[in-house]
Amino acid sequence: MSDVPFKNLGWAGNTGEFDLSEDEVRGDDFVGDRPAHGGHASGSATMPYMLAEKNPEATLFEGEYQERFEKILTRYPDKQAALLPTLSLAQELRGYVSPESMDRVAELLELSPAYVRGVTTFYTMYNKRPVGRHLVQVCTNISCNLCGADEVLDAFLKYTDTELGETSEDGGFTIIEAECLAGCGFPTCVQINSRYFENVTPTEVPKIIEHLKSEGDS
Amino acid sequence: MAYPYVSDKEVRILSTYFGDPKQRHLDTYVERGGYKALEKALGMGADDVVNIVKDSGLRGRGGAGFPTGLKWSFMPKDSSRPHYLLCNADESEPGTFKDRELIRWDPHQLIEGCLIGAHAIRAQHVYIYCRGEFFETTQVLARALEDAYAKGYAGENILGTGHTIDVTVHAGAGAYICGEETGLMNSLEGKRGEPRVKPPFPAAVGAFGMPSTINNVETLCAIPHIVTNGGEWYKQYGTEKSPGTKLFCVSGHVNKPGNYELPLGFPLQELIDDVCGGVRDGNALKAVIPGGSSVPIINAEEVSRCTLDYEGCVEVGTMLGCASVIVMDETADIVKQVRRMVDFYAHESCGQCTPCREGSAWTAKIMRRIENGEGTEEDLDMLMEVTQKMVGTTICVLSDSVAAPVQSSIEKFRDEYLALIRRGERVGAA
Repeated sequence: MSDVPFKNLGWAGNTGEFDLSEDEVRGDDFVGDRPAHGGHASGSATMPYMLAEKNPEATLFEGEYQERFEKILTRYPDKQAALLPTLSLAQELRGYVSPESMDRVAELLELSPAYVRGVTTFYTMYNKRPVGRHLVQVCTNISCNLCGADEVLDAFLKYTDTELGETSEDGGFTIIEAECLAGCGFPTCVQINSRYFENVTPTEVPKIIEHLKSEGDS
Repeated sequence: MAYPYVSDKEVRILSTYFGDPKQRHLDTYVERGGYKALEKALGMGADDVVNIVKDSGLRGRGGAGFPTGLKWSFMPKDSSRPHYLLCNADESEPGTFKDRELIRWDPHQLIEGCLIGAHAIRAQHVYIYCRGEFFETTQVLARALEDAYAKGYAGENILGTGHTIDVTVHAGAGAYICGEETGLMNSLEGKRGEPRVKPPFPAAVGAFGMPSTINNVETLCAIPHIVTNGGEWYKQYGTEKSPGTKLFCVSGHVNKPGNYELPLGFPLQELIDDVCGGVRDGNALKAVIPGGSSVPIINAEEVSRCTLDYEGCVEVGTMLGCASVIVMDETADIVKQVRRMVDFYAHESCGQCTPCREGSAWTAKIMRRIENGEGTEEDLDMLMEVTQKMVGTTICVLSDSVAAPVQSSIEKFRDEYLALIRRGERVGAA
């Protein structure tokens, strides 16, 4: 990565005494690339992402996604255990898990629709309604809070002109509070779609937002 | 390598290669001696591996500190039914950020630990339950695992020894309670992550109804080193009852926050003043939570007496937990921070048990009332009464975790609560 527009580009690597490039830390040869092949059990092909381009009308499942779904099934002794990964896959594709998606997943896994709804609503990462292209989750739990997370959250709301939990008018951003993201040593920790942004300060927020807008498809 | 911050007080065993991206590559890992321990362990009987770990005195790093070797020895000796090893990588205790670092810097270390652990408990399948938010971490781990499969370190007939162990990376979907061992099992099975009533214990009836053992990431990462060097070697570090090294996650108001690997029994004061460069801006220390948000908060005087091992923390009325040291200086608003933690527990309560579901929500409401200057002194008594009824009355200890910060902060920082209450009374009277 060159020409970094702001101090933190989403990895604990380049502030203060850090001297690693993003490539070195995130290891581009390790992330972002999801081949559909792969060994029996390991599963990188089936790890979900949060994509910026969401397709709420997509079929569950076909093509590459069907292959990934079938691969998920091979990794557990029964079909029910595939429920969480399958819901994640549906969300990766459609951007959220609608009641209709839940019903379809229930059908695929031979579970009752009510059961699938009960499980889906238990977990916070399943979006029950559509979210913006960038889902911004600001940790405001204790460690980040002690270091000014509330100001970071306010800055995100201000510069995207949104209310907490709402989606901006252009559909670009949804800002929510997150519980501890396990980046406590690098406060404030912000997760934007699949990426972590660490050591975020309020003054950097406008730059991060501009960067995301320019990236388009992150 | 300048991984965020390092200290010469550290004994880096698990974190040797933090900050070195080359370590993620299988070739580098093997060059540096990786997978030798696996080879050694597979050449030994399962019980011999368990005995080495027993000798080392290694205690579970997930928070409870239960001896790992003993836990493994609870598994049935026959393998007529499938056994499972579960690795708990659902790191979500506020203040804890070690497992994510262990996985993303050194994924093969964990994979090797999992494979050895599986051999020791006669399991043929390992599930690594990663927190759902860890997209990149999970990707790093899964890719490393693919490499391990390709080179014959995992899967069928490992290294030609005839042993078959599969490893699956499983991503969660955002629920703190899935870090509780039986909650994790339910979640893995595609259910709501609600903890189960024990007994039966996981070693008898665990994941998918089969004998299972669950270990934390850090515990399993220590295994290859122990198998290579032996139990006596491991015991040279730490204290008699808490041997070995531990990753301390220091966050909050210190100059150099980060992960530091230190021998257990290290003095807390020295960790803050020396290793972490002191409290930020030269401020005075007010309070520390030494083990993640679920343990009692301690004040500056207790900090000066506290050593960081399982027993030392108990002596000053708190717990080591997962060694997540949250430091607060004189500017910290204790009431606000405790309220934030209670909000967290109210949000994460799975809702099965009434004391926890209702207690956490009401505690949060009362805390917020006090924070807003609308509380009364009776509210403090009510908080104590409510939280006392939340201890030991539920299936899991999430409920107890609400009580710890609330009770300890009222006991030790009552003045701060009273100041908010008095200020509110003055405003009300005016």
